[in-house]
Amino acid sequence: MNSDVQQVTNFFNTKRLRLSIILVIFGLAYIGASIGLGFQTQSLLNVQAGIAWLIHNFIPNEASQGYWNEIIQQLFRTFIVAVASTTCAAVVSLFLAIIGAQTLTPAITVSWVIRCLSSLLRNIPIVAWAMILLFSFKQNDLTGFLALFFMTLGFLTRAFMETIEDFGTEKIQALQATGATYLQVIFQGLLPEIAVALMTWILYMIENNVRDATLVGLLTGTGIGFIFNLYFKSLRYGAAGLVVLSVIILVVAVELISNLIGRLLS
Amino acid sequence: MIKPENQISIPTRQPAGPRLSIPLRFRDRRRVTILMTLIVLAYITLATLPTMIPSHFKLGTALTSFAENIKIMFWQPHLANTTFITLLGALGQSILLAFLTTLIGSVLAFFFALASTRRLAPTYLVLGIQSLMAVIRAIPTVLWVLIYSVVFGLGANAAVVGITFHSVAYLTKVYADSMDELSPGIIETMQAMGLKKSAIIRQAIIPYMMPSYLSWTFIRFEINFADAIAVGAAAGAGGIGYQLFMSSSFYFNFHEVGVMVYMILAFALVLEIISYRLRTATN
Amino acid sequence: MLTVKHLAKSYDGEKKSLTDVSFSVQPGEVTVIIGPSGAGKTTILRSINQLIRDDDGEILFDNTDIRQLNRAQLRQARCRIGMIFQNYNLIEPLTAIENVLHGCLGTKSNLAGIFSIYRNREKEEALKLLEKVGLAEFAYQQCRNLSGGQKQRVGIARALMQQPKIILCDEPIASLDPKSTITVMDILRDLATNDGISVLINLHQVDIARSYADHVIGINNGQVVFDDRIQALSDTAIASIYQKDANSEGSVVHEF
Repeated sequence: MNSDVQQVTNFFNTKRLRLSIILVIFGLAYIGASIGLGFQTQSLLNVQAGIAWLIHNFIPNEASQGYWNEIIQQLFRTFIVAVASTTCAAVVSLFLAIIGAQTLTPAITVSWVIRCLSSLLRNIPIVAWAMILLFSFKQNDLTGFLALFFMTLGFLTRAFMETIEDFGTEKIQALQATGATYLQVIFQGLLPEIAVALMTWILYMIENNVRDATLVGLLTGTGIGFIFNLYFKSLRYGAAGLVVLSVIILVVAVELISNLIGRLLS
Repeated sequence: MIKPENQISIPTRQPAGPRLSIPLRFRDRRRVTILMTLIVLAYITLATLPTMIPSHFKLGTALTSFAENIKIMFWQPHLANTTFITLLGALGQSILLAFLTTLIGSVLAFFFALASTRRLAPTYLVLGIQSLMAVIRAIPTVLWVLIYSVVFGLGANAAVVGITFHSVAYLTKVYADSMDELSPGIIETMQAMGLKKSAIIRQAIIPYMMPSYLSWTFIRFEINFADAIAVGAAAGAGGIGYQLFMSSSFYFNFHEVGVMVYMILAFALVLEIISYRLRTATN
Repeated sequence: MLTVKHLAKSYDGEKKSLTDVSFSVQPGEVTVIIGPSGAGKTTILRSINQLIRDDDGEILFDNTDIRQLNRAQLRQARCRIGMIFQNYNLIEPLTAIENVLHGCLGTKSNLAGIFSIYRNREKEEALKLLEKVGLAEFAYQQCRNLSGGQKQRVGIARALMQQPKIILCDEPIASLDPKSTITVMDILRDLATNDGISVLINLHQVDIARSYADHVIGINNGQVVFDDRIQALSDTAIASIYQKDANSEGSVVHEF
């Protein structure tokens, strides 16, 4: 009896010890990283200072009302760039994912090439994309579009490929057993079954790209990111606040619409 | 339950003449939604794509120059204005930034998630916190960092706080979502035994959540690494992103950009291997 | 009708999954393959329409060896071989009638398959088949909303849409409740008796085999150990089929 109790106690002690060690390691890592970066923990406690500053300075004033026209126009361009890049990337990704998915690929080498390509596209930082494209395509919407397109292409190809592989081989075989061709299997079997999942990914990506479009705009001097930078650097904080407000409204609106579509799809 | 149809019914009634058209399906909501969404997306894309191309734009020239730069980047990487050691240090800084913000973010987000899961918290709290997080999420990370760099001055403090903001908002949502997936029966059972909330969290929620908690946190680390680079470039917050920005927009040296991209890809490869290991280990 | 000769298959190149399996199936009969889990029942069935490529042997269907066919010819042959599965493998978001119509894709062009273009004759046929399996009023239900037994009956209608000479059934009732089991087995029995279709079924349950089969093939460890009329299936024969084999580790019989 006694040894049984001992065993249970030991079990809990080992567990506790392991947890403590992990916590200590993370604690040390936190301190190490803070020192390495020169980050002061107390600034976390000053977060409210930022919020207060934000509220104080970013309140749009009389003067900033005059910027509405420009902001709305740029916001709209940004939104369109995000949607167009996602849609175009989705079309190409779907094709790549179908011939790249291990369950449907014509050859396993094709699958590996597409896998590597998507990984490469995804992991090249968007800053690098934006800068290279800026150099060749100059300062315009096309640059932002292409930068988002390449990133999204990498991301969606991977996501679609995993969705298709989750679909499994059984159902594909069931259709092949009726004598259906490759294209028939894809259009009658695969696509109806994964349409909802694909749609969800596309909507998520649009949401994400609206945010990233701001970043790309900042780097390439286009769209909403550019005018934020312009107002911010020239200390026109009221107008910059208006930009932030408009971005919030746009992103939340896109999120609400995509939630609504998600509910209709479930 | 299935209907009790024990014997098959051979059709006795004759079809009333040849039907001209038999529909394959009735209108169903899912299909209509997908179709409508696709039409809207296609319309926006097709209508606006041409307007994106500026007038007097030579697509050919741009493409050639783009291909040329890609070639320089990937085939002729070498350094000119900086040393490899400097870059390694900068990469390390970006990694530390990503690590620190993920760590702070995941701890804070865990508590926010507990306060905003439908399994534990009252509705007003759930709605309140989730809306607040949605607003925070809506502001791009770069803007947060820029705003805080005015308050704290340019540097690590602004970068950490700015990226953490976004991390907390993101992780709160995904943690709360995975807690919501927990079956209410489990918590009811614990409550029926008279357990306190703290005990339910420790004994039921944490064990169930741990795998998804880890995988989401890791995903956020990958995002934060990308954000750390972006913020370094766009808000001058240091790290490899800043170096990248300098080489590409100040020196116009794509050979150097190539080196940095290779370094970043190498680290991304390490992350992919780890995430692959994590996925296969948990299965 | 269908004759299988000296079929052999190994998945990893060493351990044989099938060694020299031969049997034949007569038109209008229900043939049941029984045997312990992992004996190779599924491999046999899937070799017949070449969903699994076997290593060696001959599969004569209508006097042509299926193994020698090229891709297009194989698809032609598959058109006349229906198949139903344990997991039904229907396309769940589509309606029952759409799933049934998938049965005639083999005879149609790519374009027709892509845009779901079916002739009225085919649509009527599909409705008739749904009526035949007792699901006429479910034609426009999405398959995800159907019960397991109903899904399996849609699967049967899909197979019948191919106008098959033979239907292969891979554990058709393993996921079903007793009532649906009887419905599904009655339909399969009727197809053999009244429509003259050969039905080849993988089964776990010996008692079901007894009440529905004409002919039984017993498989153990990749080999045929019993091949006779159902009347000859004695208790000792069953015991020998389910005998634990010394070579295959862990082949515990846990059937119900």
